[in-house]
Amino acid sequence: MDFSPLTDAMASKSYDKIADICDQLMLQVAADGVAFEDEWPYAIHLLGHLYVNDSNSARFLWKSIPSAIKENQPQVVAAWKIGQRLWTRDYAGVYEAIRGFEWSQEAQPLVAAFSEIYTKRMFQLLLSAYSTISIEDTALFLGMNEDDAKNYVQQQGWLEDPASRMLTVKKQPIVTEQKLDPSKLQRLTEYVFHLEH
Amino acid sequence: MQSVENLVTQIQGLSSSASDISVLHNILKAADDSLRSESPRLLPSLDQLDPSKHSLGYLYFLEPCVYGTITKERANTLVPIIARFITSCVAEQIRLAPEKFITVCRRFKEQVMLLEVPIRGVGPLLTAIHKIQASTEHLTALHPEFLQLCLSSKCYKTGLSVLEDDIYEVNQPRDFFLYCYYGGMIFIGQKRFQKALELLHNVVTAPMPTINAIACEAYKKYILVSLIHHGQFSTNLPKYTSSAAQRNLKNFCQSYIELANSYNTGKVAELETYVRVNMEKFESDNNLGLVKQVISSMYKRNIQRLTQTYLTLSLQDIANTVQLNSPKEAEMHVLQMIQDGQIYATINQKDGMVRFLEDPEQYKTCEMIEHIDSSIQRIMALSKKLTAMDELLSCDHLYLAKAGRERQRFDFDDFDTVPQKFNI
Repeated sequence: MDFSPLTDAMASKSYDKIADICDQLMLQVAADGVAFEDEWPYAIHLLGHLYVNDSNSARFLWKSIPSAIKENQPQVVAAWKIGQRLWTRDYAGVYEAIRGFEWSQEAQPLVAAFSEIYTKRMFQLLLSAYSTISIEDTALFLGMNEDDAKNYVQQQGWLEDPASRMLTVKKQPIVTEQKLDPSKLQRLTEYVFHLEH
Repeated sequence: MQSVENLVTQIQGLSSSASDISVLHNILKAADDSLRSESPRLLPSLDQLDPSKHSLGYLYFLEPCVYGTITKERANTLVPIIARFITSCVAEQIRLAPEKFITVCRRFKEQVMLLEVPIRGVGPLLTAIHKIQASTEHLTALHPEFLQLCLSSKCYKTGLSVLEDDIYEVNQPRDFFLYCYYGGMIFIGQKRFQKALELLHNVVTAPMPTINAIACEAYKKYILVSLIHHGQFSTNLPKYTSSAAQRNLKNFCQSYIELANSYNTGKVAELETYVRVNMEKFESDNNLGLVKQVISSMYKRNIQRLTQTYLTLSLQDIANTVQLNSPKEAEMHVLQMIQDGQIYATINQKDGMVRFLEDPEQYKTCEMIEHIDSSIQRIMALSKKLTAMDELLSCDHLYLAKAGRERQRFDFDDFDTVPQKFNI
């Protein structure tokens, strides 16, 4: 099996490509009739799906893994444990699953990158869903201790109310491209004109 | 009658230019019957042919080999040969004998299923679809086979690649039914319920002379997904649904209709009881997973309803109204729904309140304009296709003969004969 596209992607930290590369490679070696299961980097493959927030595909991959591999490769099980927590929306449990395993040297950077991107996703979620939230919960969602969490969000302009130990969320104005290409407007105008006449 | 050796030589000699190939095609067509009777001798001769050069000849030699009962042992020999052939064959050549190609691919799929390694067939069948397909708008007989392999091997994501194309051309109704049914299942697996509903709806409402099992199963899933996604279900089918489906579907899916009725009461406990009593039925239909999602979607639906009535509400009140155990549980449900974009709200932990908001979309971003524009373009293309199809149909002899006859019969009293437009 030629894993060079995968090793290249890992080396260049193009983690968002891992899942697609693995999917492709797997279909290819399977079609060639190679018994790939024993050597397949299932843990990396699973983490690749999780990195691009595709827990559906991670779950189906997990279901397709032979039971012998699930029994003999603790890292595969550990990777799926993260997926499972994501699946059940056990937001804080994801961090426990990340910390609860000695990742191999190969998997370590990917896990770290996932952890980072997951924290960012969680921060965005808190931003969109809360107007005030306790420091305790913020720490759980961000996977940090309370002081770190407080610092993290205060840098984004959140305010602390020491009496109630609550944080007031500061909404960030959403910046979107508003500048319109006049030809687009022209086209829409033509449609409407056409409909009215 | 030509000997196998002779044919091999001719295939080798006549596989380069298009005119050579059409000569070769005639020779092969003439030899087709004798090839079939020679099938045991064909497999060894394949070694003398190169699938990437002599694709048509290779196909004529391969096809007789796939008939008959296939043992696991034989499948083990054939699968790699066919996989290599599909991957390397030349599309222009195999398109000259599409039926043979489809037979080979279908048998290939059966063989990988027999060997219990469906994943081995996924890549080759996807390639096969691309090679045999006249355009992405054509449904081939291989589409459903490919999707079934994707489902069996849990490669749902790979299945999406063909499902993204809009299909306009269908030859066999059965292919279309299965394509939409399997496609629906793939979208369900990826939790893209809107698309799943669309495909399942196609199955249920497609023209059918008699009711079929695929439509029944699709209808069951349609009911469940409709509850999960919309929080409601209506038994009314659109007017264009076949009368066979209108009359029979409900009778075959009684327990699902009752489930939907129970859902409509809005009471989780009642729904749970109903599911418990009918557990076996849902399990034997392989729909238990979806049924469970229906139950958990009820909390969401009940919360969604609250957003229509209230601007702000305490977490405690939410927990009470939708029958959750604690304010914290209510908070988690609301949070999940915000994450999934099902509601717009902000949670205020300090006061234990939730404020429901309007959809923040203001329809003025570039992205949105692009989206609107591309939707209009698609609708316009669709409308053009419909007009073209309509024109084609109104020139069709069979249709006109029938339409003309029926008109006379039904409009017996008035003197309105066949309209002038219909010049037969």
